[in-house]
Amino acid sequence: MTTKINQWLDERTSWRKVWETIFLRKIPKVNWFYTLGSASLFVAVNQAITGILLTIYYVPTPDHAYDSVQYITTQVPLGWLIRGLHHWGASAMIILVILHMLRVILFGAYKYPREVTWFTGVILLLVVIGFGFTGYLLPWDQKAFWATTVGTRIAGTPPLIGDYLLRIIRGGSEISAVTLVRFFGTHVWVLPSVLLMLIGVHLYLVIRNGISAVPKRGK
Amino acid sequence: MSETKELSRRNFMQAAIWGIGGLIGVGFGVPAVAYVVGPSLKSQQTQTWMRLGPTSKVELGTPTLFTFTIQTQTGWIESSEEISVYVLSTDGRTYIAMSNICTHLGCHIRWISDQNHFFCPCHNGVFDSSGNVVAGPPPRPLTRYDVKVENDQLFVLVGG
Repeated sequence: MTTKINQWLDERTSWRKVWETIFLRKIPKVNWFYTLGSASLFVAVNQAITGILLTIYYVPTPDHAYDSVQYITTQVPLGWLIRGLHHWGASAMIILVILHMLRVILFGAYKYPREVTWFTGVILLLVVIGFGFTGYLLPWDQKAFWATTVGTRIAGTPPLIGDYLLRIIRGGSEISAVTLVRFFGTHVWVLPSVLLMLIGVHLYLVIRNGISAVPKRGK
Repeated sequence: MSETKELSRRNFMQAAIWGIGGLIGVGFGVPAVAYVVGPSLKSQQTQTWMRLGPTSKVELGTPTLFTFTIQTQTGWIESSEEISVYVLSTDGRTYIAMSNICTHLGCHIRWISDQNHFFCPCHNGVFDSSGNVVAGPPPRPLTRYDVKVENDQLFVLVGG
């Protein structure tokens, strides 16, 4: 029965070819360091699922943000788990992405013909850091408020444009409701769209160019 | 002569990947459902007797309106809600207390003394003085509260 359905679908979508290209492709003999990209992807999916779930209760306004986060953590069944997965997943994401980058550097995997994969990876790193920075404000507690005070003040240090930059990031001269919503909007709409597109290109290139072998001495 | 196929490394890995993947899927799916559905299934706050007022306020034979406010907690927001109750007594000893919420679709009904009936403004539901449906779409009589009288004060049981 399933083979029949698969056959019917394959005739119309060629899904087998797609499946083989993605999951049954030939790769060189590599080691566990080569799983760091997949690990980053896994945690990114975790962040997406738990992040979507958090928006079901979270309200990004100064009078509700803190209370709604407390409500998620203490009242909603398994809310502590969902928030915990998102919270710790964020730290894991930064660590994994940096380890992944180090592996690419140390194994020389950024070289021809994989430069574009590397470039998209660099932008992806910036996007992930952007996620961390904008997400940190959302619980709207003391730590969030002062971390964002400091972070945006750092953005305000360049000469000439610094003051404008600070005001643009904060949406005014102070950290306010405007700051909170724009950080929220960036965190759940802008950055995810950019991340999704870049991951698409990044993975396409990984498959199209194949992955690099472990470099050997004298080669 | 067993027909069991030799489990190849490849097949083992395949089964393991699907198995672990399935477990992770369940690990996300089950908490997600509990998380989304949970608060909707939480029961209301505990039952309490609310004081309406003195029995002397009730006119014999006419539903008399009493209102009181209760504190409610919805999500993380605490607010107060005004509840209206009509109390009817025909003999001055027994009392019935009725909700002012129409049993059709939840609009607020009003006692119109000229016509001696409750009327619902939404879909023309009509109830008599003891809450029975007289006309219109309401499927049930008005909901009644448990009533008690202590020291000539009326109490109704709310919540639960």
